[in-house]
Amino acid sequence: MKLMANNAYSKLPIEIVAMSKHKIILLLLFIAVSIDIKAIEQDSLQVEPLRPVASAYMLEFGGSRINDTYLTPLKYTGWMAGFQYERMQAMKFNPEKWVMRLSAGVEIDRTQNPAKNADMWYLGLDASWGMMHRWRLGHEITIGAGGSTSLDIGCLYSTRNGNNPASAKAAWTVNATGYVAWNFSIGCLPITVKYQPTLPVTGVFFSPDYGELYYEIYLGNDDGLAHVAWWGNYFAMDNLLTADLHLSNTCLRIGYRNQLLSTKVNDIVTRMTIHSVVLGVSGEWISVSSRKGLNPSARLISALY
Amino acid sequence: MGNKIFVFLWAMILLSSCHEVEEWENTPKGNFDALWTVIDEHYCFFEEKGVDWDAMYRKYSLKAKNTLTDEELFLVCAEMLDELKDGHTNLSASFNTSYYRKWWSDYPQNYDARLIQEHYFNFNYRSLNDVDYGILPDNIGYIHYGSFVYGLGEGNIDHILAYLATCESLIIDVRNNGGGNLTNVEPLVRRFITEPILAGYISHKTGPGHEDFSEPYAYYYDPAEKGRIMWGKPIVVLTNRSTYSAANDFVSVMKNLPNVTIVGATTGGGCGMPFSSELPCGWAVRFSACPMYDANGNLTEMGIEPTEGCAVDMDPSAILSGHDTILDFAIDYLTTQN
Repeated sequence: MKLMANNAYSKLPIEIVAMSKHKIILLLLFIAVSIDIKAIEQDSLQVEPLRPVASAYMLEFGGSRINDTYLTPLKYTGWMAGFQYERMQAMKFNPEKWVMRLSAGVEIDRTQNPAKNADMWYLGLDASWGMMHRWRLGHEITIGAGGSTSLDIGCLYSTRNGNNPASAKAAWTVNATGYVAWNFSIGCLPITVKYQPTLPVTGVFFSPDYGELYYEIYLGNDDGLAHVAWWGNYFAMDNLLTADLHLSNTCLRIGYRNQLLSTKVNDIVTRMTIHSVVLGVSGEWISVSSRKGLNPSARLISALY
Repeated sequence: MGNKIFVFLWAMILLSSCHEVEEWENTPKGNFDALWTVIDEHYCFFEEKGVDWDAMYRKYSLKAKNTLTDEELFLVCAEMLDELKDGHTNLSASFNTSYYRKWWSDYPQNYDARLIQEHYFNFNYRSLNDVDYGILPDNIGYIHYGSFVYGLGEGNIDHILAYLATCESLIIDVRNNGGGNLTNVEPLVRRFITEPILAGYISHKTGPGHEDFSEPYAYYYDPAEKGRIMWGKPIVVLTNRSTYSAANDFVSVMKNLPNVTIVGATTGGGCGMPFSSELPCGWAVRFSACPMYDANGNLTEMGIEPTEGCAVDMDPSAILSGHDTILDFAIDYLTTQN
């Protein structure tokens, strides 16, 4: 800090020599204070801020409704269970305004036909990464909006079908996404409520032809399996509403999730609707290097607010 | 701004609501309509079989009244499906499964397993899964492949061909083989070819219309990899009307090989790969959905004829004296050819 001040002083113009002593002293004091304040600001900015990782591990249980006309014209209903990992962090290049979100999950559904004499299972994996610009609106409310990209793969399996027992699902999508987070307290319990919608806008997804057997694909006919997604043929939405109860350093997360997938391509319609209860743990964690330790002057920039 | 958001949300709801699925009530009429529609939109041989499916609706929907019991409705639906004359088309309920049986019951059976086991092998033959094999008099190898539901591993086929390696020729009997998995056909055929062959074509429906079909897709079989035991000597394939589905496909491929002769009766056909679906009441339905063609582009749904001059039926009087005249014809054919 001193070095910066001395250097600044040495660059003063020659004309000040001709000023009165009082004026020179006042001017020097003013410059010194100004330089000092600026130096503090620069120093503070140069110390890399701490960007804790907001992670959550969530279990999901709920109801599932599936309709896939490649397998059956009937609607199947049943239960679903899933696990989701979510990670949010302020981004390095502009931590005040940009945050990233990474999520990955696995889901299993077991549904039955209306007559309850046939089962359909679904096993799905998903992963998503996105960036959001955020705005702090005051009153402990933060909103974020941005984009993400997702990869979803899965398979529906009908236990009663012969040559068409399965319907594979695979999609890579580019999504609009965002969140609203609100911090408040009930009594002495701090709570963070967050709503997070994700809406695929475009992408590529897999579908066989109307009556095409996977055996034909196995034989090598891979024509027309990939389709450009738009809302007319691929509409999906994921709504996640959670409340983090700050019981200690770790939060208890409770929430609700709604997932909707509706596709129509090659005259095959797939509709999957899930309503689930979310239960998990969340918290913000910082990785500390044992060698460097924590810089006490570093600012802490939360991923959420 | 508010209006734009409203329009946006409305557009989203509208677009997703386009993906509607037709629903039927779980009543006799609703189930009948569901069955008729499933077949109407997915069945693949209306034209080849000359079936006017709309006329079938007019004919049978009158019978599908809501007062019918399950058993009565089942009979109406089964009768309608029988109009397709298709061995791959069944309706399955908890109390019955419908079959169109005339594709084989109107023809002589032309096969008696016990006759061969007793009079040709004296019950001294080998068995592996659903395959029986042994060596006939005149040093002719014999394999009866009873079902392609059960596959043979490459090692199994090696053992069989090694056992028969000293034989001058081979009879592969696929009589009464009602099919199974097509993927079990290729491992066997691969032992009889020395270079890749065009095995046939497969097509599928591209939409619910009766004329909506894809261009037939050619598929090929490669010879077995090096180190496997191959067979290059003459082969006779024995067929009857109950040679069906995957076994029919096996015959269609084998018939195009240069050293293979088809002996017996016209096969049962069944070249439409079946799809499955279901009705609101929980009954399952299966039907031909993807037509397959032989290497010459011919549909083999109505069966494959034996090689010219090799159509033979079993003589009932010869059975009494312990003779399978189809097998005898094949033995004579192979011994005189060699």
